[in-house]
Amino acid sequence: MRRLVLLIALPLAASEHFEKKVRPLFAEKCLGCHSGKTQMGGLNLATGAGADAARILAAVEYQGKVKMPPTGKLPDAGIAAVKAWIEEGGKWPGAAARTESAGDGRGHWAFQPLKAAASGASIDRFIQAKLKSKPARTDKLTLLRRVTYNLTGLPPTLEEITSFQADNSPQAFSKVVDRLLASPRYGERWGRHWLDVARLADSTGMDEDNLYPHAWRYRDFVVRSFNEDVPFDRFIHQQIAGDLLPYKNKEERARNLTATGFLALGPRPLAQQDRFQAVYDIVDEQIDTVSKVFLGMTLSCARCHDHKFDPLLTTDYYAMASIFASTTQFRNYGRPGSISYMHYEPLDADAWARYEQHRRRTYAKQFEMEEALAEDLGRDSAPLRQSIAARLEAAWKAIHKNEGQPDQWVKWLRANCDKAFLKPFNEATETNIAAVAAEYEKTYNSSASKWDQSLENWRSRFAKEVLEDRALPERPKPNAEAHPFFAAATFNGGPMEVAETPRVRLLRLEWEHLKKTQPEEPEMVSAVVDGPSVDQHVFVRGNIYNPGEAVPKRFPLVLAGARQKPIETGSGRLELARWLTSPDNPLTSRVLVNRVWQWHFGEALVRTPSNWGATGEKPSHPELLEYLAKRFMDSGWSMKELHRLILLSETYQMSARAPKEIRDSDPGNRLFSRFPRVRMSIEQIRDSLLALDGSLEHTMGGTLLVNSAGKRQKVDADEIRRRTLYLPVRRGSIPPLLSTFDFGDATTPGESRGRTNVAPQALFMLNSKFVIERSRGVARRLLDQSALSDAQRVEQAYLMTLTRPPTPAETDSALSYIAALEKRLATDGHLAAWQSFCHVLLSSNEFVYLN
Amino acid sequence: MLNRSGLPRRAMLRRAAAGFGLLGLRGLLANSMTPKTPHFEPKVKRVIFLFMHGGPSSIDTFAPKPRLERDHGKPVPFKRELTFGEGAVRGLMKPLWEFKRYGQSGTQVSALFPNVGECADDLCFLHSMVGDGVDHGAALLQLHTGVFQFKRPSMGSWVLYGLGTENQNLPGFITIKPSLGHGGANNWASSFLPGEYQGTAIGNSGMKVEEIEPEPVPYLISRGLAGDHQRFELDMLQKMNRQHAEANDQDPELDARISALELAFRMQIKAPEAFDVSKESEATRKLYGLDNEVTRDFGWQCLLARRLSERGVRFVQCSHSYKWDQHSELLKLHTKNAAEVDKPIAGLLKDLKARGLFKDTLVIWGGEFGRTPWAQGADGRDHNPYGYTMWMAGAGVKAGFHYGATDEFGYHAVENRMHIHDLHATLLHLMGIDHLKLTHRYAGRDFRLTDIAGSVHKEIMA
Repeated sequence: MRRLVLLIALPLAASEHFEKKVRPLFAEKCLGCHSGKTQMGGLNLATGAGADAARILAAVEYQGKVKMPPTGKLPDAGIAAVKAWIEEGGKWPGAAARTESAGDGRGHWAFQPLKAAASGASIDRFIQAKLKSKPARTDKLTLLRRVTYNLTGLPPTLEEITSFQADNSPQAFSKVVDRLLASPRYGERWGRHWLDVARLADSTGMDEDNLYPHAWRYRDFVVRSFNEDVPFDRFIHQQIAGDLLPYKNKEERARNLTATGFLALGPRPLAQQDRFQAVYDIVDEQIDTVSKVFLGMTLSCARCHDHKFDPLLTTDYYAMASIFASTTQFRNYGRPGSISYMHYEPLDADAWARYEQHRRRTYAKQFEMEEALAEDLGRDSAPLRQSIAARLEAAWKAIHKNEGQPDQWVKWLRANCDKAFLKPFNEATETNIAAVAAEYEKTYNSSASKWDQSLENWRSRFAKEVLEDRALPERPKPNAEAHPFFAAATFNGGPMEVAETPRVRLLRLEWEHLKKTQPEEPEMVSAVVDGPSVDQHVFVRGNIYNPGEAVPKRFPLVLAGARQKPIETGSGRLELARWLTSPDNPLTSRVLVNRVWQWHFGEALVRTPSNWGATGEKPSHPELLEYLAKRFMDSGWSMKELHRLILLSETYQMSARAPKEIRDSDPGNRLFSRFPRVRMSIEQIRDSLLALDGSLEHTMGGTLLVNSAGKRQKVDADEIRRRTLYLPVRRGSIPPLLSTFDFGDATTPGESRGRTNVAPQALFMLNSKFVIERSRGVARRLLDQSALSDAQRVEQAYLMTLTRPPTPAETDSALSYIAALEKRLATDGHLAAWQSFCHVLLSSNEFVYLN
Repeated sequence: MLNRSGLPRRAMLRRAAAGFGLLGLRGLLANSMTPKTPHFEPKVKRVIFLFMHGGPSSIDTFAPKPRLERDHGKPVPFKRELTFGEGAVRGLMKPLWEFKRYGQSGTQVSALFPNVGECADDLCFLHSMVGDGVDHGAALLQLHTGVFQFKRPSMGSWVLYGLGTENQNLPGFITIKPSLGHGGANNWASSFLPGEYQGTAIGNSGMKVEEIEPEPVPYLISRGLAGDHQRFELDMLQKMNRQHAEANDQDPELDARISALELAFRMQIKAPEAFDVSKESEATRKLYGLDNEVTRDFGWQCLLARRLSERGVRFVQCSHSYKWDQHSELLKLHTKNAAEVDKPIAGLLKDLKARGLFKDTLVIWGGEFGRTPWAQGADGRDHNPYGYTMWMAGAGVKAGFHYGATDEFGYHAVENRMHIHDLHATLLHLMGIDHLKLTHRYAGRDFRLTDIAGSVHKEIMA
């Protein structure tokens, strides 16, 4: 306690000097003997226990009897740094010192408890309170187009347009909302929003970008959860701690495990040779994702120093790091010079146990067989290897002198007489055959001992890798190029081949039987589970080799308070999940409803959706945020209820157009004086093009990475007719079509899609095979309806693509364009002209911008 | 950071990227890609980066080490840092090629690079490069983006973000035949910078020149109407778009898209010419080695780089990928690799000089790291990010100059250490940018290419 008091008094500059210059020096040179279990001389330079400044200085200056480090004097700069520290008082700073200051930022608006809204509160009341006049409503068809694209990502069909137009009841719009929310297309559209936030991709990104073969399961889990309106607090629990949740049956267990893909499917360094660093970089990625996504906090800024702007401490960071460091990250670390393996969990633990048991039995049998084989070979081939010269000499005589009976050597030598390695034998004479034959024996035995050695190496590697659960090395193959005589004589019926003994034969049959009866690998999923619990220390300045004080697992003090229930067993993820959704947590529900608002309107209430700290933006409508967050929690975290609340408001149904004076008074539309006009996402563009020409396949879920036979296949986005969210995304090579349209990096939590208007996007719309083919498809659909007049076709084209009929002037303009183009194009003009007209509609601003 | 309009910088940029936003009248005339005023007078207007993916050995190319000749085969006498492959560490290994002195500077270059050797008096050698990545993925990401733990914008994107580009009909940052591995597109991505700053890939390392040439930029060729007919169609589209904009409060975003469509149309007319090397003279094609199967691929890359630089493309990268990773067969494969690039590189340097482009174009040559002074297995070398050589040539840097050095074994940089952050800081400085001031606000803080490090090495500047 006495130390703590001292620390608070310590000027920051001195402690900074210590952290920058002195502690790293101690870490590098001294901690080997002066920390952990070996605190030589009772001195712990990780914590400062037993430190006496004067003695340390004398030791490092090599002035007294004790000279440290014993391996050689520190560089002058190092000694100077130690000296300067001691002259400043030689105090031992700890991160705990500044914990006391955590109260400083507590007043920040985002950390205040949620307040209940006054009675009579509503979205429209909060929005309109800041407006000079009530905004105009949009027209019926624009609203239908807006809500249909919003909830399903697809255009309304002709039938949907007709029936909505015909419905004049007051419930007409709410019926549409209910219909759309019940459509499976809803989960595909809104699940995609969440996948952005969850930075989902199908590969590890970073250095190796290896595939995550099971990432699609997490995607399907998300789509299904949205469609089933799983209470969002449960949805969060599943993603943070699904592996720790109770379950009723295997299916529920599988679903919970799959959900933890949220943590498991981030970018991962596989080739990082410093595996300890790799683990903490993953932990950091998880802290970054969880804190931004759910809390709107940039907690990973506190990895190296206390957060510069928010009251988040390095101890807060490492308290959370302790949770994720106690969670499995890799299956194992691989050998030096190779990559680490990601951890996968079986969806069915029993099936996995059976599979794994069988696999290990197979390996054990194989090993037993190989050992027996080696023993037999050693015994049986030894005499053969001593007799090569004699056999060759006899064979030479049999061939050239007709002496003796032709044996298998003679047969083999005759069959292979054209082989280069037999040239010396073939050219041998009676006088030198003995020497030639002896040379062959020598060559053979040198090759054979190399082969024996490589087999032995392989067996020991094999046993080790099986034990350590890594990829198995392949059994070596004889190198016929380097050792032609040995390879030819020893295998495939050569005269040196040793017959299989009965016991090896039996073992081989058993092994082959085991291989044949090996069950298929059970279904796996990228998931996390608890690993051994770590005793986490602060890593000073983020350096994993510079441990400072120990920190228990807990949540950030400024959010969860100083009196937290200690986490004594397990990783603490379940506690974390529960804390995130507890009624006392001031951030999770607010951060979430803000995101939902943004996904409906294109702009959020807090326009830095993943940063609610001091450098983030303040909400434009704080009371509305409170109201929505409270309503959301009170509804049992029902996403669909929240949608209804928002969609049925007047605010959602206002016009995207506004008079100039209103636009001038609210230039950034921060007050929502009009509905934000937003460019469609690439998913909306691509999916609706497919829907409009009738080629969209509505198959849900699964993976496109492998074909129906389970073989890896190439994915060509131009040829696939599935919705865009089913296209695999590799972090190292995001499909150009997606990245061109601001898809994001699938590596950090996506807070909002960019909305650029750049030439490469225009090139895609103007030139690509995909858009041209869709235009032709739409044209064909129009032309195939023989009962329609051309004017009716134009009308239908407008309704299909723009959800409105054309004005008479537009119809005239379209018809004269088609006629003129048809005339310009000599051959096949009719279809081409209609195709071009459809292309104009599909690449128009009116099509890609939603009002 | 708030600007006068009261919008945070990110939102501001998003709007700027959309074309006009709230930038007022100036914004109507310019977009975010038009050339911008640098922080101070630039010495370099554009960059050509010749990237040798895999890690060429410095000891065997431009940094001879007599001590290795003497101690060849002896056990490694110093402490080895973390390396990639811990297995098969053998004794010290001397350079496998003879060195020769070239030019006034007396620069020693090995027999691997006889043509580049002839240009030695134009080169500025950085013999003390240092990086943090021991494996290729990390090393590539750090070289291209400054860090490897996170996804960050590429240096080409930062340059474009800071300076815009001189030719509005071509992308401003082009990477020719990049590798899809070891970070892949992250090495030329704009990350949190607006999407328009991302690099445009011309094919990839797995493609042949013939496969790339017909459509070097995606969707450059119309699969629908072409020529005048396409213009006729575009006129109809733009008429419709203008009516729509008029009916929708003349929303600047809608106007921006109208401009983007026009730009795309112009680009599709102008860009093919820039990529068409067939118009080059026989002599020029020979100079780059296009007449030889061995040098044709990289020669094409270098010639394309010159054509693009000439037309004002701000940052061009050529990749010899992924070739230089000789954990074994160093003698055979380094010989093969060097033969593929030596002549094209020398051709590029000579051509740039002859065309007067050397005065404002900077060429950078190097890999993601060097290789160890000890042998790995019988005839290889392992990765060495602790001290290796890169070189620059052209605008702004001293010619025939050697900067920094590694220790006598060629393992650690010991003199004038130049970390990759320093390389980035120095590069930006040469282009007129203060690396501390070129920032972008993202996720609550300002980010830089040089992260929290980097110092400008003025000693190499002419």
